[in-house]
Amino acid sequence: MKRRSFIGWGTAGLAALWSAVGVSLGAVVRFLTPSVYYEPPQTFKIGNPSDFPLGPPTFLADEKIFVFRDRDKGFAVASAVCTHLGCTVGYSQSDERFHCPCHGSVFGANGAVQHGPAPRPLEWFEVTLARDGQLSVDKDKVVPAAYRLMVER
Amino acid sequence: MNPIQDLWQSIVRRDPLSTDKGKSELVFLNVWLHIHPAKVKRENLKLKHTWYLGFITFFLFLILVTTGVALMFYYRPNAPQAYQDVKDLQFVVFLGPFLRNMHRWAAHGMVISVFFHMCRVFYTGSYKRPRQFNWMIGVFLFLVTLGLSFTGYLLPWDQLAFWAITVGTNIGSYAPLVGKQLRELLLGGHSVGEAALLRFYVLHVAVLPGVMVLLTMVHFWRVRKDGGLSRPVWKLEPEKAEKLVTIGAPEAPAPLSVALASKDKTYGLMEVVTGKPIFETVTAEEEEDTTFSYPYAFFREAVALMATVTGVMAISLFWNAPLEELANPAKTPNPAKAPWYFLGLQELVSHSALLGGVVVPALAVLALLAVPYLDTNPSRRPADRKWANRAFTIFVVVNVVLIVVGTFFRGPGWALVAPWTHISGAE
Repeated sequence: MKRRSFIGWGTAGLAALWSAVGVSLGAVVRFLTPSVYYEPPQTFKIGNPSDFPLGPPTFLADEKIFVFRDRDKGFAVASAVCTHLGCTVGYSQSDERFHCPCHGSVFGANGAVQHGPAPRPLEWFEVTLARDGQLSVDKDKVVPAAYRLMVER
Repeated sequence: MNPIQDLWQSIVRRDPLSTDKGKSELVFLNVWLHIHPAKVKRENLKLKHTWYLGFITFFLFLILVTTGVALMFYYRPNAPQAYQDVKDLQFVVFLGPFLRNMHRWAAHGMVISVFFHMCRVFYTGSYKRPRQFNWMIGVFLFLVTLGLSFTGYLLPWDQLAFWAITVGTNIGSYAPLVGKQLRELLLGGHSVGEAALLRFYVLHVAVLPGVMVLLTMVHFWRVRKDGGLSRPVWKLEPEKAEKLVTIGAPEAPAPLSVALASKDKTYGLMEVVTGKPIFETVTAEEEEDTTFSYPYAFFREAVALMATVTGVMAISLFWNAPLEELANPAKTPNPAKAPWYFLGLQELVSHSALLGGVVVPALAVLALLAVPYLDTNPSRRPADRKWANRAFTIFVVVNVVLIVVGTFFRGPGWALVAPWTHISGAE
C-alpha cells in the first residue's frame, strides 16, 4: 500500500467511524426524548368566575396555580412552582406573601423575590374567558404581574 | 479412570491432588487465585493500613445486588403501584422489610465506605505514580455510587422520594446550556412523574449497575497491574524503602538495572509497544515479606465479608427504612430535604443554585479527578505531605459540616433551628 493511499483511506475511515459514532449518539439522545408527553395539558379550564371568592387567592393543587380575584373583579393566575428548585410554594395570609418550604425563598404578593435564593419572580399565566363562560389558563403564556382579566358581572 | 472420577475431573479441570501436577493446578487454575496475586505483601494484610474499606465497599455492593434483585420480584415501576408494592414489601411480603432495610442501609453504608476508602487512599498517598489513573476510576466509582443512590431514592414513590428527586433534578437544570435538556432527558418529561419513575428504575437496575461492574473490574485490574495494594512505605526499613522503585518511571531510571529480570517484564503489546511497563515493585530480597494469598488474604477477606453482612443484617433487624405517605406533587413537605449525602449540596443550593448546585460541585469533582496530577510530590510519607493532607482534611471537614448542618440544623423554610427542636408536621 502506498503511503498516500494509506493516509487517504485511513482519514476517510476515521471520518466515517466518528461520523457513525456522532450520528449514533444523536440517535440515542433523540430516542430518549419522548415524542409524546403524557402530561396534563398546559391549557385548561378552571371553572366559572363566580367560583372564586374575593380576598386571599385560591390554590389549585393539581394545576399548581394560585387564582387571584381582586375587588375590582380582575383575575390573575400565579404559578405555585418556586423558581429556585421547583418546590410548591404556599401563600401566607398573615403577611400576604408566598413562602417556599424547601430553601426559604419568599415572594411578595406580586410574585417578586423578597428573600432567599430564588433567581426569578413567580410566573404569572395568561387567563382568558372561554366561550362557555369558564376561565381558561394557558401555562405556556407568561404575562407581566400586572396582568388582569376583567370580567363583567 | 472410572466415570465418577472422569466427571469430577471435567468439572475441576485438574489432576488428582495426590499428584504434584494436581497440587500445582489447584493453584494455577483457580479463578480466585487468578484475580489475586499468588503472594501478597505482608503489610497489605494489616488492618490499620487499609481498614479493608475497598473490600467492604465491594461487599456492600454485592449485598445491594442480591437484595435489589429480591426486591425486584415485588416491585412495579408505575405510579402509584410502586408505592403500593413498597407498602406490600413493608407489611405483607415475608422478609420484605428485612430485605428492604438491608438494601437501604447497605446503600447508605456504601456511600460512607466509598468516601472513607477515598480518604484512606488520599492520606496514604496511594494515588501517586503509578496509581494516578486508578484514583480517577475511583472518583467515577464514587459518582456512580451517588447516582445509584439517587436513582434508587425515587423508587418508593413516597413524599420523601418525590421531593428529593424534584429538588435534585432541578439543581441539575441550572447547568449552563444543557441543564434544562438534561433534566428533561432524565425525567422523560417536564416534571417528576411516571416517565421519570420508569427512567430512574431502568437506570437503577440496569444501566448504572452495569457501569459500576465495568468500572469495578477496571479498578481491581489496575490494582493488580499497578503493583498490588499500596504499602505504608514510610514504615518500611529505610534501606528497603529506597529499593522500592517504580519500574519505567522516568524519574527513577537507575534502579531498573538493579531489578531482577523476572520482575522486569517487557510486554510486546500489539507488537507496537516497546520499553518497560510502569509498575511498582521491589527487588527480590523482599520475597521474605510476602505471604501466600491463599489462605492468608482469603481468610481475612472472608472475615471482612462476614463482618459486613453481619453488620448490615444487625442494623436491618433494629432499624426500619423510612417510608412516608404517597407522593403528592401538590404538597411540598416542609422542610423538603434531599437524601442526606446530598444535603451538603442542598445547603449550598440554599445560598445560590447556580454557584452551589453546579459550579462548586463541578469544581470539586474536577479537583478530585486532578488530585494525582496536581500533587507532584513523589513522597508518600505523611511527614512530607503535610499541606496535601491539610487541604484534603479541609475538604472532608467542609463536606461533613455542610451535611450535618443540612441534616440536623435546618427546619421549616430551611431556617436554622437547633437539632432538638420538635418540628410539628414533619416525620
